[in-house]
Amino acid sequence: MSALTLAGTEARLLTREWAAMVFAFAFPPLFMLVLAGVFGNEDDMGGTGVSGTDYYIAGYIGIPMGALALVGLPVMLASYRERDVLRRFEAFGVPTSRVVAAQALVTAVLIVLAAGLVVATAAPIYGIPPIEDVGGVIAGFVAGTITMISLGVVLGLAVPTARAAQALGLLVFMPMWLLGGGGPPPEVMSDAMQSISDVLPLTHATTAIREAWLSGDPVGGHLVALGVWLAVGIVAIAALLRRRDTRA
Amino acid sequence: MFTTKPSQPQRYHDPDTVPSASAGSAAAPAIVVEGLTKSYGDRHVLKGLSFDVAPQEIFGILGPNGVGKTTSVEIVQGLRNRDSGTIRLLGLEPARDRAKLRRVLGAQLQSSALPDRLRVREALRLFARLAGDVVDWRELRDTWDLTRLERSAFGSLSGGERQRLFVALALVNRPQIVFLDELTQGLDPAARRETWRLVRRVREQGATVVLVTHYMDEAEQLCDRVGVLHDGRLSACDTPEGLIAGVGDGVRVRFSYASSADLTGLEAIPDVRRVAHDGTRVEIVAEPHAVVPIAAELGRRDINPDDFTVVRPTLEDVFVSLTTGGSR
Repeated sequence: MSALTLAGTEARLLTREWAAMVFAFAFPPLFMLVLAGVFGNEDDMGGTGVSGTDYYIAGYIGIPMGALALVGLPVMLASYRERDVLRRFEAFGVPTSRVVAAQALVTAVLIVLAAGLVVATAAPIYGIPPIEDVGGVIAGFVAGTITMISLGVVLGLAVPTARAAQALGLLVFMPMWLLGGGGPPPEVMSDAMQSISDVLPLTHATTAIREAWLSGDPVGGHLVALGVWLAVGIVAIAALLRRRDTRA
Repeated sequence: MFTTKPSQPQRYHDPDTVPSASAGSAAAPAIVVEGLTKSYGDRHVLKGLSFDVAPQEIFGILGPNGVGKTTSVEIVQGLRNRDSGTIRLLGLEPARDRAKLRRVLGAQLQSSALPDRLRVREALRLFARLAGDVVDWRELRDTWDLTRLERSAFGSLSGGERQRLFVALALVNRPQIVFLDELTQGLDPAARRETWRLVRRVREQGATVVLVTHYMDEAEQLCDRVGVLHDGRLSACDTPEGLIAGVGDGVRVRFSYASSADLTGLEAIPDVRRVAHDGTRVEIVAEPHAVVPIAAELGRRDINPDDFTVVRPTLEDVFVSLTTGGSR
């Protein structure tokens, strides 16, 4: 109950942050437009057999998933830690885990809205291919969102300041997005890049969405990989919360 | 309410000798702290801190910067871990009974903040709701003079306005024990006095108050008892009056005199300790009850100085004496 109350307040506060709003709702569509403008005319994207605009549909969705989870969320959390907002809540009996849950919930809603906005912006310009496996797309999107949020929470609880969270978040997001569905297809990557790409969580999220969307292929393997990343994230979150609980 | 006021200050380093807040009272202490220790690496901050606080008492913790005042009260509240020692708040153990205690504790932390964009009204409503709406947030808004600020964002508030908001938030669950850490830091003199009035009101409404401060006048004005934290323990704990009486320096009577005045033999007045001259000024150190005889003797000798001044020891003198070993 208190997590929902907090989430409502957090969401209201977010609407007053123009920078956060721009980051959530303008950055992903703009990024998508640039991306589609560059690769949209490819008929066979890197030998994958699909057009550029179709291939990158999952990459578009990966933008808010990665950016909001790995940059927006950690900055919010680290700022609360840095300014002792979390201590204020702790002193009132609201554990940090509940504030984290509220921020994670708000971020999840933002990702859903921003992903919807990206797809809605792309549809009239580039066209959207039919979805072969709606369940697979939803499963990939949900698993990817939860996993990326868990990693964003780890970042937000681990770094000392909001500025550090922003720098590290971008450092993690950009390569992960470029290697994980937003950049060149794996077919044209070097072996080393491909090996890295294969283990990144965003790769599994975008690949699951793409394959379910375009071919209806099973996404179980990607969901398992995301589950492993989520488990790692949860263990790290528990350790960081415990460290905070027993600090000083 | 705490009524025991020992006539002599009680200094101690042994936890076993800590005077009980509830001595002579039937009520069990609201707070009992025994043998609290805490180290940060090689730095031993608390070395066996012990004290207790009676229900509805305003208990002050004084100490130099960095001595561990905030660490102490945050451990007592269960916000930090201790190395050893026992704590009971209303019979509850803060580390074990955290959830139960949160419903009866209020805290204004020395260092904390709210989101910059959160408005005063929203903060009061949010925390009131989190506390189960046991208090009407509008009442707190009015009591703590936050009405005109209710639409202001936290980030735009002055230091004093933030403190008022934090105190209001500390009371939003109608707490039985309230911890106020450097409550009036950053407030102007008028705002400080108004805050003192409100703290007394908090006590009148039934709460026990632990006040951490380095303002001597605040401790003297507000606290029923004051503990002076030094070297990891309470080096003294008593009423402000008891601490002052115990400093043992006596009062100082100062005045100027004409060169023709006869000041011989003033040392013979009972309980006068010494008489010191500096040009045409004199300072007499004496027991407090010797002031009237001194004035009477001066009058008998037809010495009527315009600048006759009696300087009594203050809590600040006690503080300096206890924490540095110095004297006035």
